[in-house]
Amino acid sequence: MKLNTMAAVMSFVTRIEEDAASFYEECATQYPNMKDTLLSWSKENRKFEKDVKRTYFGVITDTLESNYAFEGLDTDDYVFETDVPEDTSKVAERAYEIEAKIKAFYLRAAELSEGLMADIPRLFRKIAKKRENRRIPV
Amino acid sequence: MAVKRLQNYINGEWVDSTTDEFVEIINPARGELLCECPMSAKAELDSAVQAAQEAYPDWRNTPAVARARYLHRLIEVMEDNFNELSMVQTREHGKTIDESRGETRRGIEMVEVASGIPTSMQGFNLEDIAHGIDEYAIYQPLGVFSCIAPFNFPFMVPLWFLPFAIACGNTFLVKPSPRAPMSQNKLFEMLDDVGLPPGVVNLVNGGAEVADGCMEHPDMKGVTFVGSTPVARHIYQKCGETGKRVIAQAGAKNFIVIMPDAEIDKAMVSLISSFFGNAGQRCLAGANLLVVGDDKTYRNVVDKFVEAAAAITVGDGLDESVQMGPVQNAESKQRILKMMEKGLEEGAKLTLDGRKLKLVGDLPEDCFLNPSVFENVTPEMSLARDEIFGPVASVLRAKDLNEAIDIIHGVPFANSSAIFTNNGKWARQFQHDVIAGNVGINVGIVAPMAFFPFGGMKDSFFGVLHGQGRDVVRFFTESKIVITRWF
Repeated sequence: MKLNTMAAVMSFVTRIEEDAASFYEECATQYPNMKDTLLSWSKENRKFEKDVKRTYFGVITDTLESNYAFEGLDTDDYVFETDVPEDTSKVAERAYEIEAKIKAFYLRAAELSEGLMADIPRLFRKIAKKRENRRIPV
Repeated sequence: MAVKRLQNYINGEWVDSTTDEFVEIINPARGELLCECPMSAKAELDSAVQAAQEAYPDWRNTPAVARARYLHRLIEVMEDNFNELSMVQTREHGKTIDESRGETRRGIEMVEVASGIPTSMQGFNLEDIAHGIDEYAIYQPLGVFSCIAPFNFPFMVPLWFLPFAIACGNTFLVKPSPRAPMSQNKLFEMLDDVGLPPGVVNLVNGGAEVADGCMEHPDMKGVTFVGSTPVARHIYQKCGETGKRVIAQAGAKNFIVIMPDAEIDKAMVSLISSFFGNAGQRCLAGANLLVVGDDKTYRNVVDKFVEAAAAITVGDGLDESVQMGPVQNAESKQRILKMMEKGLEEGAKLTLDGRKLKLVGDLPEDCFLNPSVFENVTPEMSLARDEIFGPVASVLRAKDLNEAIDIIHGVPFANSSAIFTNNGKWARQFQHDVIAGNVGINVGIVAPMAFFPFGGMKDSFFGVLHGQGRDVVRFFTESKIVITRWF
């Protein structure tokens, strides 16, 4: 699905952060050795989503250009698998795939909204950068 | 199920109107009946003005900082209800949900700025204007004011005035547009929630009878209005006769000048938003695209503009994939269609025909238009001169900036004008020479923030002081000069 409005981008942020958070919580239940890391990620995902929404509602204006700024953003490019792996060794791999997709989404959305509402692309980039440090201890 | 009938809010109470005349409020995207709006009688207005007049003495004696605290509470309630408020606007007006959220944010910004009244209402003084004599100016409220609101920004526009008026110590009355009264109804639920003393704010739904009452009532100190030029002119004249202060912000036909060096790819999002945002129903909307330059420049600009306009998705504003909603009512669509027909008769070329509908979803077509672009428009044509207030762009040409400015000055309106260029000299000349209340340089929608006055010149504004910012604080106060000497 094409994302061509700010409202649609916001709904997609909620979806990916929530899907990823739920995945981490389920994995934490099944694989207690990774619990602390995964639950901290899931908590942080929800904070990211809250920060994005707060920023969006804070800077949106009736003269917005955001209705027309997201040409080229497609949800199909950021689909990720959320089934909990049977094998513990696959959890980190899947988590990194999710993180890579979400990071790519934020960076692309930041690029497209550059100069539109400064706070939004800045936050998208900050969230993408924070995700770079996500590593599951072996 | 019975259809909800809106009530009036008078003297701190929700009351049924005494009228038997009601207007159906229809969601323009879905065609569904949302509620009924009473067309209240003059006696109901009189009762609201009386309540406001009685509330005034105590309210003006309430310290400014305490008055501001009511506004702080209002901000909290508005933030808590942000999304619901926005959805109401989309349903009653048709604009997209992003546009409604933007309108909600702008409305809240007005309350935020008005809550700074302990600073912005301060007067000034000078010691020793003569030996041992001091002089100072104090700003005082006047009494009851009102707002006659438009349908295009039904939530935000009354907030250009109401929070400033009551922050200054006046009392206030809103007559919402009978086309889109629901978001004002929501606002007054919130005002009720913050516990303002009875009579400080009042809501009277209705039409011309209530509006005339505002202009005629002897206890009404001033009237604020946003809407069409003929009505604004009438209000200005009428209030002149009855001795009231007036802010009457009126119609527009805004130009956007594209210079040959403009960064057109970067500008396109601004242009499209300006011309087609809010389905063109915005007093700051771009209406005339005035391209300066040779044939190659012209073709490049217009082809890209038409391509971008054609790609706009049109449908129900609550659908997040939709970029443009319907116009607010079926009569508006018919009026726009007639103006398009007239443009064709006058010889303009319809390059993009928005009459051919392409909608997202299965929706009634009564209020929908897709974006239209006319070329070969000349300055004397109605397409270039008359306010269309819909998603219709007229493209004109000029050989240089001087001619462009002359063309702009040939139109009776002067609400806003913008130029897109990288040339500082051109930008400076444009800013200096063009007659327009709001000037944009590489900005498509020149909307002043709450802390600046909302400009407007020629037939786009009737009055002296403007809405918002310092102007509106001066409008809602009278300066009193005090000169003191102590023996």
